[in-house]
Amino acid sequence: MITFERVSKRFPDGTVAVASLDLEIPTGRTTVFVGPSGCGKTTSLRMINRMVDPTDGVISIDGADVRGKDPAELRRTIGYVIQQAGLFPHRTIIDNIATVPFLLGWSKAKAHARARELMELVGLLPEQARRYPHQLSGGQQQRVGVARALAADPPVLLMDEPFSAVDPVVRASLQEELLRLQAELHKTIVFVTHDIEEAVKLGDSVAVFRPGGHLAQVDHPERLLAVPADDFVEGFIGYDRGVRRLSFFRADALPLRSDIVLGEEDTVARARETVRAHGEPWVLVVHADRTPKGWLGEPALTAAEPDALLGSLATDPYGHVFRVAEDSLRSALDASVLSPAGRAVGVDAQGQVVGVVAQSELGSAIWSVGGEESDPAERGAVGSDG
Amino acid sequence: MGDQPLIDVDWILTNLGDPIGTSLLEHIKLSFLPILFGLLLALPLGVLSARWKPLYPPVLAGVNILYAIPSIALFFLVLPYTSFSMWTAVIPLTLYTLAILVPNVVDGLGQVPDHVRQAATAMGFGPMRRLLQVDLPVAVPFVIAGLRIASVATISMVSVASLVGLGGLGQLILTEGFRNYKFLTPILVGIVLSVALAFLVDGLLVLLQRWLTPWTRDDSRKAARAAAPAPEGDPA
Ligand SMILES: Nc1ncnc2c1ncn2[C@@H]1O[C@H](COP(=O)(O)OP(=O)(O)OP(=O)(O)O)[C@@H](O)[C@H]1O
Ligand SMILES: [Mg+2]
Repeated sequence: MITFERVSKRFPDGTVAVASLDLEIPTGRTTVFVGPSGCGKTTSLRMINRMVDPTDGVISIDGADVRGKDPAELRRTIGYVIQQAGLFPHRTIIDNIATVPFLLGWSKAKAHARARELMELVGLLPEQARRYPHQLSGGQQQRVGVARALAADPPVLLMDEPFSAVDPVVRASLQEELLRLQAELHKTIVFVTHDIEEAVKLGDSVAVFRPGGHLAQVDHPERLLAVPADDFVEGFIGYDRGVRRLSFFRADALPLRSDIVLGEEDTVARARETVRAHGEPWVLVVHADRTPKGWLGEPALTAAEPDALLGSLATDPYGHVFRVAEDSLRSALDASVLSPAGRAVGVDAQGQVVGVVAQSELGSAIWSVGGEESDPAERGAVGSDG
Repeated sequence: MGDQPLIDVDWILTNLGDPIGTSLLEHIKLSFLPILFGLLLALPLGVLSARWKPLYPPVLAGVNILYAIPSIALFFLVLPYTSFSMWTAVIPLTLYTLAILVPNVVDGLGQVPDHVRQAATAMGFGPMRRLLQVDLPVAVPFVIAGLRIASVATISMVSVASLVGLGGLGQLILTEGFRNYKFLTPILVGIVLSVALAFLVDGLLVLLQRWLTPWTRDDSRKAARAAAPAPEGDPA
């Protein structure tokens, strides 16, 4: 655990970058510092590895004051990743990754073996080992930066806006990669960003900073979206926090109905009967292997011959589906909004239809998690590694 | 010079060892030593100026003022202390190289981007280790660009040293060519050898850079084509 106790930093020019920060950063989890520019995120981060020393207060790692350690030795036990990667232009990729092992006096063979292992872990190709940093794309350089930070297997990883210099598609894949790595490695990660989406996606907890170096709120991201501590936090999070928060709730608790799901070999008469019996204006037609074919609405059924088979009729496209076991309420809501029938199709891992959910049922599910008093733990919240 | 041939091959063949060969060797020695001493002085001066910024303006002014002193004057200034030893040539020529080498070392040391420097510190590099393992290697293309200019300038300036009675190809031109015979062949041999030597040294430095900086090899990055601006004024 990393602890900040009444930590302040005033620069010689009088700027107060951090003001009396109290914070506990749990071991093995990802804590994200987020906030507008200049609010002291980088300064707080750098006080952990002593790139900056506080003017007041104590920072300790597992109970030991960081100022009791030699800065260079302390830093070799803390990985550090920055926005422009900061790779050495004159060293090959493999030597860049092996930097800290070399500093620690490992043999060349051992350091290189470790570097190759890490290249694979972060998704770099073996033939890139002998290249120089400028021969790699920005996203690949960032992967090297992450590999280099992990090389000596430090328990703590500091990341300062590591993904903000790459395009949105690469950023999303780097974020996924980090989640995957973290699920495997369980490092104590402190991650700085000014992008609240990124904070909510990556953080086990999110610390929102306000200008002047004050901490506005520290919370689980779902709680942050549900109950912003004040107007500043609410304004910073953005207007659609209600919808974004739905990504923390699993779709598997939704009441899915399969009674309006019919096969291609069923007749129009049977479909009309279904519509009448359930008071539902739509039926979903599935192929023989239960993958979705499309929607049939009441008007189309009325126009068709009663003994025609459903497989012979033209259907409306079913649009997006959501995966019942993995996806969130947000995906289900999205699928239903995009569906011509206003109903979302839930599928299993094989893509076979499990059932459909109408917007009204989705609405009550959303309503039931929507209260500010709700506890995601009791309602099957989606963890960052879930 | 009248009816004599431009190139007297017989003269070249009979004088190949001495004075042609000995002048060339002397020329190599008189230009190599100033470049070596210049580099040895420029590195610490450059490192100090890069680390401690207020030092740079006075250092730069100092080396430029030295560069502005006419070489003949400087040779005669050191003559009373060094008499007719090689140091009379080596000391002034060394001082001249500083005007080219010091700014190049300082510029080269400034090539490491700030984020790379911070990453190095964050990984546990101390200041000395960072200088030796990061700043200096990255500065190599700039330092070599400076060495290329300094060596060509020095090789050409060594000839002037013969005016104060020091050896080298200038001596060949002066004594064998003008004074003794008003004879063209030694003059041409002196020019050709001096130019050839300058080309050879330049080529060797290019090869040295390719060998030392493999990371600049296959691309057109700024550092690779780092051109060193020559200081104003020509002391030769
Ligand atoms: N070395 C320094 N000397 C003086 N002031 C500084 C120094 N470093 C940072 N500051 C100031 O301290 C405040 C906090 O800076 P910091 O870099 O921690 O902000 P940040 O939250 O990381 O911002 P950003 O999102 O723009 O990176 C700013 O007002 C900044 O100008
Ligand atoms: Mg910052």
